[in-house]
Amino acid sequence: MVGSIFLAIDGVDVGYAMQEILDQAFGSSFAVKNSLIEAVPITMVAFGVTVAFRAGIFNLGGEGQIYAGALASVLVILGLSGVPGPILIVLGLIAGMIGGGIWGGIAGALRSRLGLSEIITTIMLNFIAFWIVSYLVRGPIQDPDGAGYPYTKEIPAKADLPVIGGSIPLGAILLVVAAIVVWVLLERTRAGISIKSLGSGEATGRFAGLRVERTGFAVLLIAGVFGGLAGAASLMGNEGRLSDFFSPGWGFIGVMTALIGRGTAIGTLVAGLLIGFLSNGITGAQSAAGIPTSTAQILIGVFVLFLIIVNTDVVATALRRAASSLKGVRG
Amino acid sequence: MSDFLDILGSTALYATAVRLALPILFCALGEVYAERAGLVNVGLEGMMLCGAFAGVIGSHYSGSPWIGALVGMIAAIGVAAIQAGVSINLSGDQIVVGIALNLAVLGITSFLARAIWEGGDVPKVDGFSDFAMPLLSDIPVLGPILFKQGALIYVALVVAVASWWILTRTSWGLRLRSCGEDPRAADSLGISVFAYRWKSMIICGALAGLGGVFLSLGQLFTFSDNMSGGRGYIALAVVIIARWSPLRALWAALIFGICEALALRVQVTDINVPAELMLALPYVVTLIVYAGVIGKSRPPKALGREYSRG
Repeated sequence: MVGSIFLAIDGVDVGYAMQEILDQAFGSSFAVKNSLIEAVPITMVAFGVTVAFRAGIFNLGGEGQIYAGALASVLVILGLSGVPGPILIVLGLIAGMIGGGIWGGIAGALRSRLGLSEIITTIMLNFIAFWIVSYLVRGPIQDPDGAGYPYTKEIPAKADLPVIGGSIPLGAILLVVAAIVVWVLLERTRAGISIKSLGSGEATGRFAGLRVERTGFAVLLIAGVFGGLAGAASLMGNEGRLSDFFSPGWGFIGVMTALIGRGTAIGTLVAGLLIGFLSNGITGAQSAAGIPTSTAQILIGVFVLFLIIVNTDVVATALRRAASSLKGVRG
Repeated sequence: MSDFLDILGSTALYATAVRLALPILFCALGEVYAERAGLVNVGLEGMMLCGAFAGVIGSHYSGSPWIGALVGMIAAIGVAAIQAGVSINLSGDQIVVGIALNLAVLGITSFLARAIWEGGDVPKVDGFSDFAMPLLSDIPVLGPILFKQGALIYVALVVAVASWWILTRTSWGLRLRSCGEDPRAADSLGISVFAYRWKSMIICGALAGLGGVFLSLGQLFTFSDNMSGGRGYIALAVVIIARWSPLRALWAALIFGICEALALRVQVTDINVPAELMLALPYVVTLIVYAGVIGKSRPPKALGREYSRG
């Protein structure tokens, strides 16, 4: 609805545009593959945000963790080009997890050691990671045959994540695995209990004998691992090389995704897939139907605002107030 | 190395630093009001970006940067009103609302820029040009640094001093601060917590919008996608470093202005430091300074907590 208003403002034939978006998102196995590829980094980084959310911690550092993960991954893959394909893929993914984990861990250490708010540190770390990568891809690891473009050499084809059956990229399967891991972590382990009790309040957690600092650190580390994996999976599943325009803001879209998923593993998975299909549909349709790319961002932002409004029992509170004011009692 | 010292000793560096510090300062001053009333406003970044964009629109169609500034402020107040409505009245999580607003504003401004101008190529518009204040600009060192800038620098200085006076020396300020320290006690004394928090957020929106206006109309005279580039978030850190004081915010914002200015200056000399790493400097320094002051600063007690009666 909101989307069609924006489209109408821009003078786009709304009906045709909707048709085109659906077509580009689902229309063929090629379209489905592209949508899933789009969903991979968004959903993967959103899992990290989800775990942090449950601990009451805001991981706004997805962007930096993606860059750190992709950097570690591309360094390992280009450095070990003699290794056979499957092993190289595994090593690339692990490197990404370590890179992202380090970046998330820094924010975790700053939080638990020094008490710095992760809201500020993760954002600052995003910019630091971006500029470090920007420096590296214009200097030490720039592709010598790249005509001066700010990117690295392309990774060898054997390190590309395979696509199964023409439409299911391996990254999408990793998403399902990650969703299971997050669910088990949160619902079936002692660590999950620690995370959730931190989320219900630091004082409560401390009282219950929880090592609050250690849990806070671990949570941001785990979030970073997912962010790094998002970077590596995108590098190996789609981009092929690291550049300083690698991520178009996946870290923040991941935060929105986790919000829409309401902090659960399955919710995040579903939300991430939906956003992947939506933004691939819009990107694909933009040339055909004249829809601007930023429509996806607007839609997601507005949708989340809407969800917050609905989620916070606003309607319920308003009704209760109205009811009690009728009775002359202050709610 | 001596080149580097030359730069550090040049008045041009500090003049640029002041210019670059101003957008952050405006945002930080606004945020001081909001946080003193108990609201964490992460939407600062979006308000700034919105102000920068609407300022360009206003100046483009009216031909006057002052009208542009007004339009920018009003637009940013609009964003602030959403932030206030959802977080104060509807008890939505303040931080989550802010992030959603930032993303939405980023999308909407990029969208509108393309809708209005083919390919999002925003033309140059009339901005605030520099002028030398008579007499004052002849003062050695301080003159070129402070008194050869655009008009908004004087607005910033006045706002900073006035904010300090309002927040610490008036009963209105005392009441506003009480809403950030102990809203329940304030409420029991007949102070409307909702009203004070709303007012603080509107002021915050207006100042953040002005910060954005300075970015677009005071420096580049045009708009580009995401031109706020995280300065709203830096302003959040500035507020903590300034320990919620408008006067200390002057110095705290200047630290970041100097870092940014240094990054720009070093690029145009033959000093062998990669430009990209210099551009990371403001963010690294933010972390370091933030870590340095953390034990000493005490935030308003009810900061970030929603308030509901009953």
